[in-house]
Amino acid sequence: MRDEADQEPVTPDEVDLDLELTGDLVPLFVITKGRALPPAHQFSHTTLVTAKKDAHAARQLSPEARSVLDLVADGYLSVAEVAGYTHLPLGVVRILLAQMEESDLLVVRNPVPSAERPDRELLSAVLDGLKTRFGA
Amino acid sequence: MSQDVLVWCLVAIAVIAVATVVVLIRRTRALGVNKRRSEAALNEQLGALQSQLSVSHAELQQFKNAQQSVISEAERTSEESTKAVLKGAARFLQSLAAEQTTLLDDIQRRYGGHSVLSDLLEVHHANAQMARKAQGIAVMCGAPVGRRNKPASVYDVVRSAQGQIRNFQRIEIMQQSGIALKATAVAPVALAVAELLDNAASFSQHDAPIEVTFQRVQNNLCIVIDDAGVGMNDEDRQKATALLSGDSVPQLSQLGNQPKFGFPVIGLIAGQYGFRVDVTGVSRYGGVRAVVLLPEELWTVEETPPPAEEGDAPISIHRGEGQARAASRTTHGLPKRGSRQAPIAGVPSPAGATAEPVAPAAPRPIRRSSGSSLGALQRGTLSGRDLDAPSPEGAEDA
Repeated sequence: MRDEADQEPVTPDEVDLDLELTGDLVPLFVITKGRALPPAHQFSHTTLVTAKKDAHAARQLSPEARSVLDLVADGYLSVAEVAGYTHLPLGVVRILLAQMEESDLLVVRNPVPSAERPDRELLSAVLDGLKTRFGA
Repeated sequence: MSQDVLVWCLVAIAVIAVATVVVLIRRTRALGVNKRRSEAALNEQLGALQSQLSVSHAELQQFKNAQQSVISEAERTSEESTKAVLKGAARFLQSLAAEQTTLLDDIQRRYGGHSVLSDLLEVHHANAQMARKAQGIAVMCGAPVGRRNKPASVYDVVRSAQGQIRNFQRIEIMQQSGIALKATAVAPVALAVAELLDNAASFSQHDAPIEVTFQRVQNNLCIVIDDAGVGMNDEDRQKATALLSGDSVPQLSQLGNQPKFGFPVIGLIAGQYGFRVDVTGVSRYGGVRAVVLLPEELWTVEETPPPAEEGDAPISIHRGEGQARAASRTTHGLPKRGSRQAPIAGVPSPAGATAEPVAPAAPRPIRRSSGSSLGALQRGTLSGRDLDAPSPEGAEDA
């Protein structure tokens, strides 16, 4: 028994020399199918997405796209949240979502743009102007 | 009287004739004996010479053999030393490429939200191709394939192989199978499939599809690769079969200036890891059909069935109750959010400004580290959801 155990690693050198591959088995560029990022204004952090009703019947989805679709099947979720849940980089999620939108699987709601704040410098310039004009 | 003379004459002639005949016969006999004697002598000489000749022949052969063995020994040592040098170099490249892959994975995750991601993905693709070449050279020189210590689905193994060739977008994996390869088989099968895919891609049109399908035949799992390229003739087939079976391992020096490692590499690793590869089939597009035949020692059936139950998830619930937490787990056990009537993001409503001093979904997205900002955003929305107040964002900000 012991002998066998000792014999087992017959090639300790080989094992030592063995190169362990620690990188992801499936690289991200395969998951995105080599596609580029969508334009910056599309699928920003807070864009909301949900699956169309018949989306789950879609065939030929990669496991990652499928998990994204499952995640947004029951209601709207923000792009950032999708990325958080799937543990995929945000950019990859955006590419996947853009792909799925092209395949007509998603409903996308762009965020309401937040109201523009007046420029602080402009305001202080006006304030300065008023002060000098009327004295304060 | 004259008759007597005639008779005597005749008798005399007869006697002379007889005498002559006797003499002649004696002569010929003597000659015959002489001839035989000299023949025997000559034969003897000939035999001696022939034996000498054969001895010299044997010696010559011996020398030839010796010379041949010296030459082949020299060839073998030079092949071995070349292999050793090349192996060292290839292993160095191999480990560098592996290191770089790990680095790239990290960087891609760190800058996942940045626009540089596109470029990073391309760099990763180039690196994956280099890693495959280095693996191939290392294997040709007798080094083991890099190893992975986790089992993986055969679908992912093929995707990994896909990433190792240039025009990987052409490859279409037609189905996902519920079969996982054991950890030891993952890297070698990925390399073999990558070489086959590369072969399929380089012998067909740039836009022609390459299809991968999985089939279970008795106790074997087949990875079938169909291309629409040019078929092979009989000679090519025989050569390929010999290489793939590992029967003929070409020497490095025979590989030529543009070395074709593909088939020899496949043959070597298939022999080492116990699977078979066949390229003699004809694909349905008239190209080559390559089949990787994996015996059942190399794979197991995955427990988790393909996600089918998700399809029945009640979609209609979500209209009425936004906060409902029922059925709120994904297949991976992650919490899933229910439907909402209103978008989460947007202009904060002025009413009901509860004090939430650090509103993480802050107005200006900071581009430094998307990981933490995403996490913060997520935490923000989660905590916001837990509050009953409609708006998590404070009225006050700096």
